[in-house]
Amino acid sequence: MTQPDEAFLKEFDAGLTRRILNYLRPYRTLAVLGLIATLLFSVAAPLYGLIQRYAIDHALGPNVLTAGSDLATRQALYQVLLRAALLFLGLRVLDFLLRYLATYVISLLGQKVLYDIRSDIFTKLQRLPLAFFDANPVGRLITRVTSDVDAINQFITAGLVSLITSTFLIIAYVVIMLSVSWPLAIISFLVLPILFYASAFFRTKIRYAFRNTRIQQAIVNTKLNENITGMLTVQLFGRENHNAQDFDRSNRRLLDATINSVSWFSLFQPTVSVLGAVASALVLWFAGRSILIKAGVGNPDAFLAASGVTLGTLVAFNSFVGQLFQPIQDLADVMNNLQAAMASAERIFGVLDEPVTIQDKPGAKTLSPFEGRVDLNKVWFSYDPAVTADTPDDDPRWTLRGIDLHIRPGESVALVGATGAGKTSITSLVSRFYDVQRGSVDVDGVDVKDLAQYDLRRHIGVVLQDVFLFAGTMETNLTLGDPNIPHERVIQACKYVGVHEFIMELPEGYNTEVRERGATLSTGQKQLLAFARALIQNPDILLVLDEATASVDTETEMRIQDALEKVMHGRTSIIIAHRLSTIEHCDRIIVMRRGQVVEEGSHRELLVQNGYYARLHRLQYAQGDAAD
Amino acid sequence: MNTLSTLWPYLKLHQRQFFVGTLAVFGASWAVTLPAYFTRLIIDGLTRATATGALPGQGISAGQVALYALLAVVSVVFSGALMVMVRRQIVYASRQIEYEVRRDLFGHLSTLDKYYFDRARTGDLMNRLTGDLSAVREMIGFGSWQVASVVASFVVSFFWFFSLSWQLTLAVLLIFPVIIGTLFVLARLISARYVAMQEQNSVIAAKAQENFSGARVVKGYAIEDREIGEYKTMNAELIRRALRLTTVEGPLQASMSLLMGLAYVTVLIYGGRMILGLVPNSPLTLGQFTQFALVLDRLAWPMLSIGMITNMLQRGSASWGRLQELFVAQPMIKDDGRTDVSIKTLRGEIEFDKVSLNFDGQQVLRDVSLKIPAGQTLGITGPTGSGKTVLGNLVTRLMDASSGTVRVDGYDVRRMPLKVLRENVAVVPQEPFLFSDTIAANVAFGLDNATYAPTATRISVLKSKAPPPDDRQPDMNRVRAAAEIAGLAGEIERFAQGYDTTLGERGVTLSGGQRQRTALARAVAREPRILVLDDAMSAVDTETESRILSGLRQVQEGRTVLLIGHRVSTLRHADHIIVMERGTIVEQGSHDELLALDGRYAELDRQQRLEGDLSGEDEAQLTKAVPTENPDPTGPAKTKVNA
Repeated sequence: MTQPDEAFLKEFDAGLTRRILNYLRPYRTLAVLGLIATLLFSVAAPLYGLIQRYAIDHALGPNVLTAGSDLATRQALYQVLLRAALLFLGLRVLDFLLRYLATYVISLLGQKVLYDIRSDIFTKLQRLPLAFFDANPVGRLITRVTSDVDAINQFITAGLVSLITSTFLIIAYVVIMLSVSWPLAIISFLVLPILFYASAFFRTKIRYAFRNTRIQQAIVNTKLNENITGMLTVQLFGRENHNAQDFDRSNRRLLDATINSVSWFSLFQPTVSVLGAVASALVLWFAGRSILIKAGVGNPDAFLAASGVTLGTLVAFNSFVGQLFQPIQDLADVMNNLQAAMASAERIFGVLDEPVTIQDKPGAKTLSPFEGRVDLNKVWFSYDPAVTADTPDDDPRWTLRGIDLHIRPGESVALVGATGAGKTSITSLVSRFYDVQRGSVDVDGVDVKDLAQYDLRRHIGVVLQDVFLFAGTMETNLTLGDPNIPHERVIQACKYVGVHEFIMELPEGYNTEVRERGATLSTGQKQLLAFARALIQNPDILLVLDEATASVDTETEMRIQDALEKVMHGRTSIIIAHRLSTIEHCDRIIVMRRGQVVEEGSHRELLVQNGYYARLHRLQYAQGDAAD
Repeated sequence: MNTLSTLWPYLKLHQRQFFVGTLAVFGASWAVTLPAYFTRLIIDGLTRATATGALPGQGISAGQVALYALLAVVSVVFSGALMVMVRRQIVYASRQIEYEVRRDLFGHLSTLDKYYFDRARTGDLMNRLTGDLSAVREMIGFGSWQVASVVASFVVSFFWFFSLSWQLTLAVLLIFPVIIGTLFVLARLISARYVAMQEQNSVIAAKAQENFSGARVVKGYAIEDREIGEYKTMNAELIRRALRLTTVEGPLQASMSLLMGLAYVTVLIYGGRMILGLVPNSPLTLGQFTQFALVLDRLAWPMLSIGMITNMLQRGSASWGRLQELFVAQPMIKDDGRTDVSIKTLRGEIEFDKVSLNFDGQQVLRDVSLKIPAGQTLGITGPTGSGKTVLGNLVTRLMDASSGTVRVDGYDVRRMPLKVLRENVAVVPQEPFLFSDTIAANVAFGLDNATYAPTATRISVLKSKAPPPDDRQPDMNRVRAAAEIAGLAGEIERFAQGYDTTLGERGVTLSGGQRQRTALARAVAREPRILVLDDAMSAVDTETESRILSGLRQVQEGRTVLLIGHRVSTLRHADHIIVMERGTIVEQGSHDELLALDGRYAELDRQQRLEGDLSGEDEAQLTKAVPTENPDPTGPAKTKVNA
């Protein structure tokens, strides 16, 4: 059960807002253009009502048209009406263009900003050290570049743009209405504060209800996913009914949550409609009375008399009131929209502010030619960032404790030891995935901290037990997308490690798309591909992390052995080995225990030495008999 | 449509809600046009009252104005109340149907077999159960409501239009096709371009996912800049698609207001001529004109929604088709006519009689014959793909033999009720699937399940009983005993929350060995007659494995065990051992007999003595005080214990 990030709320934060606004800065011209277009169509909005008013009062109204008007008068009035109608249409066309322009410009602006934010996060994530990826599950990082960025988009479009547009529109309407008839305008405005608060109230309720729905939906989805993946286990344990009941509970909770959202939603729109009807009824009643008083019907009233209402005014205000509703409702929601993005913004900037602990020094060196000498000088290392050089030696958090290891160019070294002895850590340090707390790691006599990371890693080939395949073809996976690697070199390498035939058996050979991360490939094939990839990159130092221990058949195993020897040839190689045959082939064996080197030497030397390695070997050999 | 007819049973469960809801839609659509009518009465009254030379008392009084204004409010209140009802009938019903379909699909999926799940991809099933189900729900909820609403709006509006002026109505009818056509085309374009944009979004998310999971490779080969370049290219494409969407979506509102403006101007010009008496014999009052314009204005949304509804219905029925595919999928393995319900228990004698099995076009077993007396332990070894696991699958009937017969207690397993068979057989796979629940619940996974009644399907949620709020607590004594046997009890007790520790994303992550032992405890807790250990302790060190196996031997008195594995040190204790290769038994006998045979088994034994796992036996002794190598920055609460 994972709660979606959006389950968390955050108050509005001016500092974060400023940082988001900074992203708009490069696009000032666009922003200004969008703003002007918005301003113009906002000003145009109340004009339609005024044209209606003009048409009624000057062409159609009771005061211009009397029973006895002759045809010529009526024709003349029709000309007035026609002009008004054409003006109306012309304005609409202009309005269309302005709105289109505004929408397009703002969308372009929003997309550009999103592009920049996404690129920034992604670039930043590429620079962050591996430790960051150890600490953050992939799912969480994906959220940063997807839904969190979308929330920023909401901030800009539903928040800022809506704030500006609504404000412009409201000001335009209010000014026009007040200037046409201030008493009628004031009457019309009576309902607006209620509308504002009702909207804010309902939107908040709906937002909370939706959030709860999403949480329940996430729970249901997690359970679905888990049950689909584990269905055979469920069946073998006869648990179908039990799990169906459990799922039914979550499913019902989701139903209740959605029904709750719908019930709030169902009240919202009718409430707004009723408020609209009240506003319009007030206009009708007030305007009707003042028209009647002017006509001499009913008691005179100073306030009503001051209104100067005509039938045209009545019709115009009737539509003004309706048109004012939308911007008021939007404005009521602006704060919610702005606030909704705060938590996302904070998370995004959290990533952007993450210190890059492993960075190239100014003027970092590059090595050329590269020899491949590796020296670990009294290295103390812990994955825990809280551990410093001053942490006492007996602290259990140390992973490597004073490793002193010197590897000549071209030498192959096998690291042997139990899980947790620190073998993988050593290989990670050579690539400078992490920085050591004490001592130094040197490559060709230069501290890796003084080398350019890119250059260093370009010279190191890493072979993981399980080759990581990217979306793309076999070929791009082997070249890692480097267009400068000729196809011939790829084939040559694949032939060399003995995976060429396998690739050629695929439907489209090297151009076969890799599906589902190569789920259909066997362990052995993957390992061979990993060797081929390393070989194509032509590294000077080879790191083999955890050779495959999973059961592979003898034939494949021999191929892997063979490929490994070929890849190791002439390269400095550090290999974490499990198979005795691999270990025996290395120039030197380093036996590690609890972050320290306990023995080193060749297989024979170590056996003669009769120490820990020899004991391991013997234990292994005697295993069958010693079990009882 | 053919596929949609299968949706009918669900709609039928809620037919009353749809019927009442549709009536309410018509009522609301009618009531909402009444304010326009009252406005007309007021305007016409005022026109007469203020006309030059009007007599006092002619036209309308202030009281009448107030009354009409009040009536306008009342009709909107009425329409509003009906709208609340619409949502609470139709939309509720759609949500309830969504629940019911989800419940029934879940139930149906749990009847499907290994053959189905081997082919189906989880991601695809999830997409259907989420995206497609939402599309169906939108179609039957919002969609059907909108269809009713569009129809009702047009009926009511045209009733008013014709009652006001047929000439004006004709004028409007000339323009409407243009408006509806334009909006329809826009809606289609928007839908297509929206999909294109979403696709690009998925591509980008997939890229990010891949990059983050492969951080070690990306950094190891220093291809960060290439990755950033690709990512930016993908994002640039997203911008392009987003803007393509904007070019059709942006003008939707603006076009709407332009087109409605055009309609209004038409009405204004022609209606104006009528008011001015320039159209012979067709008088029109200002009030009538205003009412006409107000009703016309209300049609904007229904016209806009025609395109949207079409898309929604199309998407919905395509999605229902995809869900229907799930419903029609049938398991190959199920109780059927052959099932002999009189079989209630079993002892555990297993016999393979000339069994062959073809799977995915490959022959994975050929002509295997073998008899395991009840209570015996059979060791099975052989290279990957030799058919070891398949033997276990045949006993549990995850698969059925292509030819030959698998018998348990002399009965063909295909005659045995699945429930009885699986109640008595427990499997521990190499990579067990554990649930994100507590350790106790995972160990008790197979206990008390018979007491749970099936969840009723194909009935309305309104008529089905909600399940009890909590599951019964598992029998902790059995859980503890099982954990003890599986060699897990000590480690569990070291967790801060013991047996209540939650596993999975939000709890502790178990090591491979711990996972395997939890699965073993889960199987042992059921006290099965037949236990299948399928490479079940590959991640457990040999010493612990031996200890567990000897513990098992004591409690498994009389139990049949299929022990699949690679370690000779483990296999040697089996009563009988078979060596599989390419789907056949190539060697069999006791440990000593097989060694004497000096064949593959003996070779395996030699190999393991020579090359065995270096980090095996010694590990437990060596790493006790050493923290794990895997950096776990979430702190000591999640400290993993090495297997």
